[in-house]
Amino acid sequence: MKRLIDTLIEQLIKMSGAVTEITVLLIIVFLFKEGAGLFNASEVEKGYTVLVHSENTVERLSPKELKEVFDGNIENWEKLGGKDEAIRIFRFDEIFSIYTEDELGKDYVLLPEKLEEVISADPTIIAYIPQKYLPTNLQGIKELAKMNISLTDFYIGKEWIPTATPAPLFGILPLLLGTLLVSFIAILIAIPLGVGVAIYLAEIANERVRKLLKPAIELLAGIPSVVYGFFGLVVIAPIIQKIGGLDLGETAFAGSLVLAIMALPTIISIAEDAMRTIPKAMRDASLALGATKWQTIYKVIIPFASSGIAAAVVLGIGRAIGETMAVLMVTGNAAVIPNSIFESVRTIPATIAAELGEAPGGGAHYQALFMLGCVLFIITLIISIVAEVISSRKIIKE
Amino acid sequence: MKKIILTTLTCALFGTSIYAQKIKGSDTVLPLTQKALETYKKENKSVAISVTGGGSGVGISSLLSGSTDIAQSSRKIKFDEKQKFAEAGKQVKEVIIAYDALSVVVHPANKVTKLTREQLEGIFTGKIKNWKEVGGEDLKIIPYSRETSSGTYEFFKESVLKNKNYMNGILSMPATGGIIQSVSQTKGAIGYVGFAYLNDNVKALHISYDKGKTFIAPTIENAKNKSYPIVRPLYYYYTIINATCKAFIDFVLTPKGQKVVSDAGYISVE
Amino acid sequence: MMQTKKIQEQIAFTVFRLLGFLVLGVLLWILGFIVYNGISVISWEFIFSAPTDGMTGGGIFPAIVGTFYLIIGSTLFAFPLGIMSAIYTVEYTKNNWLTKCIRIMTNNLASIPSIVFGLFGMTLFVNTLGFGDSIIAGSLTLGLLILPVVIRTTEEALKAVPKTYRLGSTALGANKIQTIKRVVLPTAFPNIITGLILSIGRVSGETAPILFTVAAYFLPKLPHSIFDQVMALPYHLYVLATSGTDIEAARPIAYGTALVLIFIVLLMNSLAVIIKKRFEKNK
Repeated sequence: MKRLIDTLIEQLIKMSGAVTEITVLLIIVFLFKEGAGLFNASEVEKGYTVLVHSENTVERLSPKELKEVFDGNIENWEKLGGKDEAIRIFRFDEIFSIYTEDELGKDYVLLPEKLEEVISADPTIIAYIPQKYLPTNLQGIKELAKMNISLTDFYIGKEWIPTATPAPLFGILPLLLGTLLVSFIAILIAIPLGVGVAIYLAEIANERVRKLLKPAIELLAGIPSVVYGFFGLVVIAPIIQKIGGLDLGETAFAGSLVLAIMALPTIISIAEDAMRTIPKAMRDASLALGATKWQTIYKVIIPFASSGIAAAVVLGIGRAIGETMAVLMVTGNAAVIPNSIFESVRTIPATIAAELGEAPGGGAHYQALFMLGCVLFIITLIISIVAEVISSRKIIKE
Repeated sequence: MKKIILTTLTCALFGTSIYAQKIKGSDTVLPLTQKALETYKKENKSVAISVTGGGSGVGISSLLSGSTDIAQSSRKIKFDEKQKFAEAGKQVKEVIIAYDALSVVVHPANKVTKLTREQLEGIFTGKIKNWKEVGGEDLKIIPYSRETSSGTYEFFKESVLKNKNYMNGILSMPATGGIIQSVSQTKGAIGYVGFAYLNDNVKALHISYDKGKTFIAPTIENAKNKSYPIVRPLYYYYTIINATCKAFIDFVLTPKGQKVVSDAGYISVE
Repeated sequence: MMQTKKIQEQIAFTVFRLLGFLVLGVLLWILGFIVYNGISVISWEFIFSAPTDGMTGGGIFPAIVGTFYLIIGSTLFAFPLGIMSAIYTVEYTKNNWLTKCIRIMTNNLASIPSIVFGLFGMTLFVNTLGFGDSIIAGSLTLGLLILPVVIRTTEEALKAVPKTYRLGSTALGANKIQTIKRVVLPTAFPNIITGLILSIGRVSGETAPILFTVAAYFLPKLPHSIFDQVMALPYHLYVLATSGTDIEAARPIAYGTALVLIFIVLLMNSLAVIIKKRFEKNK
C-alpha cells in the first residue's frame, strides 16, 4: 500500500514537471489566437465603409491619410493624388439633418437610397457610413479599397490612436520605445543599488544587522505596486517637477524611479540568497590564500553567485517591463516617441490595463491589445533566454 | 483528470446561475451605482448585487456573453455592438439613469476664466500651444485627457472636438482623479472632468458654444436647464431582466434614487 | 601593497554600507508615509465593517475577506504543483536539454508581466472555461503568476541540500521517493517556506491580474461560492485612489487600506521568520 502511494506520488511529480511548459504553451496559444486576428481585421473600423464619388480617381487611402482627411488636416484631393478640388467630409450622422425620420422609412429601409443620392450628387465627397446601409446600387459611388491591417503598420507605425475614426492607427513604436526607456533607466538605477545592498547584507553587515534588515527588505517587496504608484504620483512626481523646473511631473524619469524602488527588494533578496548559498569553505579558502575580504567578494563570491544574481536581474527586469499600475499612474501615458527622459511616455502594460476595459470585445482594438500582450511576452522571453545563456556560460568558465 | 474538469464545469454553470445579479461597466457610472445600491440596500437588506467597473466596453460585451445582468455605460451603445446583439438574437434595452456634465478645468492660478468651443478644439487638437493665444500669460499649454477609450474621452471628442482626433501624444490619465491631481499641480495644465469630481484645487472654466457671444458657467442649474453645453446621458443596458434587477433600476428612477444621483454630483433625469 | 588593498576594501565597504542605508531609508520613507497617514483611521470598525457613504466612510471588511480568499485559492493551486515541479527538475531529470528547457520556461514564466497573466486569465478562465468573473478564475490566474516563484525558490532550497545526505540515504537502502520524503524535503523545508511566504505577499498585492478576472468594486454581501466575485485590498486601494467622485474624502481610507494591506504582509513574513527559526533550532 505504502509502495503504491510512493509510486503514485512519483508519477505525480513527473507529471507536474511539465506544468510550466504547458502553462507557457497555453499562454502562447491563447494570446496569439486573440492577437493574430488583428491582421485579418480591416483597416477601416469594423462594420463601416468609406465611399467616394465614382468619378474620383483616388482608389485607396491609408489609415493615416484617412485620419488626416477627417481631422481636416488634408483639405484637397490633389494631395491624395486626385483632382484639385476641396474635400467634402460626410459623416453618417449628417444624413439625419438632411432627411427626416419619415423620409428614411420604417427601420431605415430607404436610408441606403438616400445615401446614394447624397454621395452621387457631389464629386468631391468622402463619406464614412455603416456597411449595413451601403447602397445596393453602386452607380455614381465608389467604395475605397479596403486592406487588412498590415504587420508593418503595426510594428513600425509611429502613432497609436486606437479610437481614431474612420481608421484607427495601431503603431506600437512609441509604446515599445516608451516601455524600453522606462525599464532601461529603472534597471540602470536598481542593479548597482540592489547588488550593492545584497553584498552588504551577505558579506559585510554583522549577523545582527543582517537579521534585522533582511526580513525588513523582504517585507517591503510585498508593498503592492498600487501603493508605489500612489506614492509616486503624490510625492515623487511633484518633487521631480520642482527640482527639475519641468512643465509637468508625469515623466519617464518619475516612472523609472518608482520602478527602480519597486524592483529593489526583489533584486536584493534573491541576490543575497544566492550569495549566502555559497559554501563557507570557498570563502575560507580564499581568505586563507591571503586575499582580503573585498578581493574574496569580487573574485569568488560574485562569480559564484552570478547565476543567482542573473536570476535576480531577470526578475527585476521582468517586474520593470511588465509593471502596470505604478507606471500607469506616474508616466502621464502620452503615446509619443520620447525625446528625453523628462517627457511623458506610455508603456505597453499601462496601455493594456487602461484600454482593455473600454475596447469592444473581439474588435480590432481588443485584438491589438492582445497583440501588445504577445509583444510583451516575446520581449520577456528574449530577455530570460539571454540571461540564461549568460549565467550558464559563466559557470562553464569557472 | 477529465472527471475533475467536468465536475468543475458543471459547478461553474450551476454556480453562475445561483448568484447572477451583476452590474458591470463604465467607471464613470460606477460611483453612482455604488451609492444608489448602498441606499437601496438599507430598504432591501437581502439584495445581492455586485458592482464592477472595467469600462463601458467590458460592460456591454459582458452583457452580450451573459456574464452580467446590467451593463452600465457612459456612452451610447456602438453600432457594431448593437449588431452583435442582433446576431445573437438578443434585444438590448436602454435606460437613461442620469446626466453627467463635463467641465473644463485649469490650475487655480491661471488667469484664463473662459474659453470658446473653437479654442478648446484648438487646444486639444494641438493647434493652440500657448496660453497667451487665448488671453492668458506666456505659458505652454499642457492638455490632460482621459484614457483613449473611456466613454468620457469619446464624448468630449464628439461634443467639443467635433469628432476630430486629439493631438498626437496627449497626456492621458487612467482615471478622472488623476486629472484633478495633475491639473492642481501643473501650472499650464488644462483637463476635463465630470461635475461630480470638481473641488477647490482646480478652477472650472466658463464655456461658450456660440463663438464667444455667451459664456455659460459650469453649474448644476445651467446643466439642468440645458444652457450648459457639455452634458451627456448615462445609461443602463439590459437584455432579459429579472425581478431583483428590475426593482433596482426602478428604484434608481424614483425621486429617492434620483436624489442619490444629484447628491453624488450628477444631474438627475427630469 | 597590502596598504592599498586595505584602503580599497575600506572604500568599497563604506560605499556598500551607505548603499544599504540609502535603500533602507527610501523604503522606510514610503512605509512611514503610509503608516503616518493611515494610522488615524484604523479601528475595529474600520476593519470589520463594509464601506458606506460612497466609499468615503465605513470600513474595508469585504476587501480583506476577498484578499484572504484569493490567497487561499491561489496557494492551494500553486504550492503543490510548484513544489512537485521543482522536485522533478532537481531530483529526477539529469542536466540535459529538457531540464534546461524547463528552467528557461520557468524563468520566462517568472518574468511574464502580471498584466499578461490578466489577459490570459481573462480569455482562458473567464471566457473559454466560462467561469465568469469569479474567485476561481482570479485564484487560478494568481496561482499561475506565483507558480514560477514557488518553483524557483523550491529548486534553490533543494539544491542547497548537500549531496552526501542523498547518498547516505540511498546507501541505507532507501529508494528515491523515500529519500526525497524523509531526507531532502525536511532539510529544505525552511528555505521552501520562505519562498512560499514571498509568493503570498505577491498574491495579496497584485492588481493587474485581478482587474479583469475577479475584482468587484462594491459588494453589499460577502461571497458565498467560488463562482462569486470578491473585493480585494489592492484593487480597492486603486479605486479609492482614482475612481471615486470625492477623492479627497476617500484618501484617509485609501491610506488605511494600504496600511492594512502592508500589515497583512508583515504578519505573513513574521510568521515565516518564526517557522524558519523553529526548524533551524530543531535541526
